[in-house]
Amino acid sequence: MRIRQLRGWLVRLAGVFRREACDRELAEELESHIRMHVDDGVRAGLSPREARRRALVELGGVQQTKETYRRQRGVPLLEDVWQDLRYGARGMLRQPAFTLAAVLTLALGIGANTALFSVVDALLLKTLPVKEPERLVLFKSMSPREFSPGAYGGIWERDAATGQNVMTSFPRQSYLRMRERQSEQGALSDVFAFGDVTLNVSADGQADVAGGQAVSGNYYVGLGVRALLGRTLTDEDDRAGAVPVAVLSYRYWQRRFGGDPGVIGKGLTLNKAAFTVVGVTPQGFEGAGQVGSTQDVTFPLAWEPQLYAEPKSSRMNGAGEWWLRLMGRLKPGAKAEDARAQFERAFRQSVVEHRAARQTQAAAAGGNPIRELEPKDYPRLLLTPGGRGEMETRQSYAPSLYLLLGVVGLVLLIACANVANLLLGRAVVRRKEISVRLALGASRLRLVRQLLTESLLLACLGGALGTVFALWIKNSLLAVSDWGGREMAALEPRLDWRVLAFTLALALLTGVVFGLAPAWSATKVDLTPALKDGGRSSSAASRSLLSRGLVVLQVALSVLLLVGAGLFLRTLVNLHRVELGFNTHNLLLFGVRPELVGYKDERRAQLYQRLAERLEAVPGVQKVTFSRVPLLGRVQTTRSVYLRHALAAAPDAEGRVKANGQCNIHFVRENFLEVMEIPLLAGRPLNERDDTRAPKVMVVNQTFAGRYFPGENPVGKRLTFDPGKPDEIEIIGLTGDAKYKRQRDEVPPTAYLSWRQGLGEMNEAMMELRTAVDPTTVIAAVRQAVREVDGNLALSNIRPQVEQAEQALAMERLIAKLTTLFGLLAQLLAAVGLFGVLAHSVAQRFREIGIRMALGAQSRDVLKMILRQGMLLTLLGVALGLAGAYGLTKYLESRLNLSQMLYGVEGFDPLTYGVIAVSLMLLALVACFIPARRATKVDPLVALRCE
Amino acid sequence: MRVQQGTLALMVLKTLEAMGPLHGYGIARRIEQTSGDLLSVNYGTLYPVLLKLEQEGVVSAEWGVSDNNRRAKYYKLTRAGRRQLAKEARVWEQTTAILERFFDPLKES
Repeated sequence: MRIRQLRGWLVRLAGVFRREACDRELAEELESHIRMHVDDGVRAGLSPREARRRALVELGGVQQTKETYRRQRGVPLLEDVWQDLRYGARGMLRQPAFTLAAVLTLALGIGANTALFSVVDALLLKTLPVKEPERLVLFKSMSPREFSPGAYGGIWERDAATGQNVMTSFPRQSYLRMRERQSEQGALSDVFAFGDVTLNVSADGQADVAGGQAVSGNYYVGLGVRALLGRTLTDEDDRAGAVPVAVLSYRYWQRRFGGDPGVIGKGLTLNKAAFTVVGVTPQGFEGAGQVGSTQDVTFPLAWEPQLYAEPKSSRMNGAGEWWLRLMGRLKPGAKAEDARAQFERAFRQSVVEHRAARQTQAAAAGGNPIRELEPKDYPRLLLTPGGRGEMETRQSYAPSLYLLLGVVGLVLLIACANVANLLLGRAVVRRKEISVRLALGASRLRLVRQLLTESLLLACLGGALGTVFALWIKNSLLAVSDWGGREMAALEPRLDWRVLAFTLALALLTGVVFGLAPAWSATKVDLTPALKDGGRSSSAASRSLLSRGLVVLQVALSVLLLVGAGLFLRTLVNLHRVELGFNTHNLLLFGVRPELVGYKDERRAQLYQRLAERLEAVPGVQKVTFSRVPLLGRVQTTRSVYLRHALAAAPDAEGRVKANGQCNIHFVRENFLEVMEIPLLAGRPLNERDDTRAPKVMVVNQTFAGRYFPGENPVGKRLTFDPGKPDEIEIIGLTGDAKYKRQRDEVPPTAYLSWRQGLGEMNEAMMELRTAVDPTTVIAAVRQAVREVDGNLALSNIRPQVEQAEQALAMERLIAKLTTLFGLLAQLLAAVGLFGVLAHSVAQRFREIGIRMALGAQSRDVLKMILRQGMLLTLLGVALGLAGAYGLTKYLESRLNLSQMLYGVEGFDPLTYGVIAVSLMLLALVACFIPARRATKVDPLVALRCE
Repeated sequence: MRVQQGTLALMVLKTLEAMGPLHGYGIARRIEQTSGDLLSVNYGTLYPVLLKLEQEGVVSAEWGVSDNNRRAKYYKLTRAGRRQLAKEARVWEQTTAILERFFDPLKES
């Protein structure tokens, strides 16, 4: 476009805003034109009248000129839209009830979608707030099942295609070798490492447990994150002999230090080691790890071994554990595949080194040598996009989130159908207006555009109000659960521009979806009859077919939602009813990690004893016990069980003996079963004499007994967890079954062992307090008691057992709550839609009903007629919905593992389906009854006369 | 014969160049006379063209008084308008010259 034309358009755009002045000027100019023309005519000898007539003819009409002039002056499309908007707004204000109903309906639909999208966005879509995240790559490895890494801290996944294991973590050696490789020319500009560590942080005389992270010195440089305050870490900090320094996350800085800028240079004790704070990272940066792993305090990798009283607690002790996550940054334009090829050798070399170190370690401890690896069994390097950080935990939420997204999508669809129906009803009212405008020459397209503008206006209002709803829905979404509370808090899903753009797009889309069909059908008018009788007959048939179709759709969709809600509700109820096998009431839990503050061996045992005794003295506390892990804590410790006859069998080619099976183990204080109220069925409980010097003993549950000693009394039987020491452990008691990891799982074979015989395992423990009162009321006293025993010992996660049990059901509860809420909402909307359609139909059939009654129809017949019409629609909708629900659950069972989301109920649950069908029919009957009653009130005389 | 808007605009510019500042009615009459009454244009179609030219900055307008004492809006070429006219006249001449060769091949030397 040339400058001249550009200027022309700019002036035109400006012309939109000064229309009146322009109109006046044009009128004046035309007036002077005509006068001059008339003057000339008169001079030529015409009569003034004739001269004026000719002048007007030659001008081609004043109005026409003005109209073409106007089109040239401004931007017609823009002006039309503006006009339509004003017209639409006026129309909406004239019908506040309609507007309110439509906007509210849309706001609920759009709000729910926006809220859920904000969570999905924060969890699954958003990239890390770092420099050029698209250039980050995450290293993983893939290995045949034969490969075992030794000690491993990270996520294992089975690759579906190859059946190989995918591991997210690497040993320190891999980091070192790959960093070396990186310093040569290659596709990566940085390779850096990070690993989670739980820290006991003491500062200002207060101790707390924080999420820590050990990182390589180039971590912040590699990610491209700068300090908000002070500085980040460098390679200089990450070497032996450097000054120990740490960096705080923004959230921890705010929470723990109240955002005090003076925190830089402050001393901080991490476990037993003194560090200095040198920096704070910017708000929103939460590291690149899995969701839920918080990085409150970050320190150099070289300092990790210094944190522990016992060297073996360090994850870098000896050969070291596979626990570091490795990331790299691609050079501009470099390909991930090239990087993979370049680093493969360095990685393999590091694996060889790690195995050699393990070999040395095993030899020093006098254990069995590690099996030699064949070349084909070595792990291979994988490179995955790292721009969003580690995704494994996030992905595990994906099915539930997508399910919920589907649910709110359905709600929006129902809302659309509802508003479309309202608009259809309104179109009938406006029929005369539309006919007049069509008769006056408005094009159908122009009218459709106007009606669409109106529906878009409605949608945008709905979207605006929906955003407010979204804030509220999102907050309650986060508040309902531990899932929301702890892990999502780190994500801080916000209604930022991405989410708002989504909302806007959604609003516009819904505006078109619910607006197009009514607009099209409203402008399909046969002019003559419409103008004559104000719109009662003719094409109304096709329109009411559309609105009936919409009602059927609404009913069907709400059945779908309700079936989902029913299934998830039954799941939740079933899970609540599950026999746990122990008493969750009046039980307070909290964790302690004495190892972090330097307790080991005998001192640690004494500490646990002192803690238990001191806590027993707290008023309101009846009994105190402790165990390595809590019940229903979603964690487990397992061991392989070897019975004597299994050990008698010949070992396989590699010298391994096949175990009889697995069992879960629980290291517990002697009174654990008594405090938890797990009944002892036979034999004796554990006692103080079952210590390191005494023979190993354990108490097993019924499932254990049934699995390994079917039909026998297990008490007195012997077995072992270590094939090298047959018959090492004696079973001394039998208890009832109790759930271990979570309600949903079958009770596993479980063995209870004395904590005295597993002191090495007891580096941390869960204290369990049976109280006489509401457990939350003793929390302050409990904290005080622990402080008296050791002021540096931090309590973590103090909560009643009931809450712990509820937390284990967080996801189920969230899904059940939301589907129920939205299902009921959908049902209500469908009922309103049904009511609207029938009321409208009665109004339309006013005359027909009058004639019927004049001819002798009783009001009972009329009632039946209208009810039949409504119930037929409902029945059709319910049938469609049930069929849809059946198909969908079958589909979801195959795709989303629906059966893992449900508990104690099948996807096709006749009870749920039946209850929903009946309740919807009842609601529909109520919705139909009101308009049907009105139909019976028709006075034949009035109906016939009003034509 | 009907006139295209672009051609009409060129006629307006040429008229203004020849006659100096002129009001809409005058321009219309002048075009009609020059064309020897071969063109029949509704005078009204002139005004959107004038507006467009004004928006593009090739003519400017102000109110004045006509010979027989009528208030009228006078249009005149701006400097940009003269440049524009010169350019378009050149293009026009070239175009006609080329077309002429097609219609009158004998002239070819």
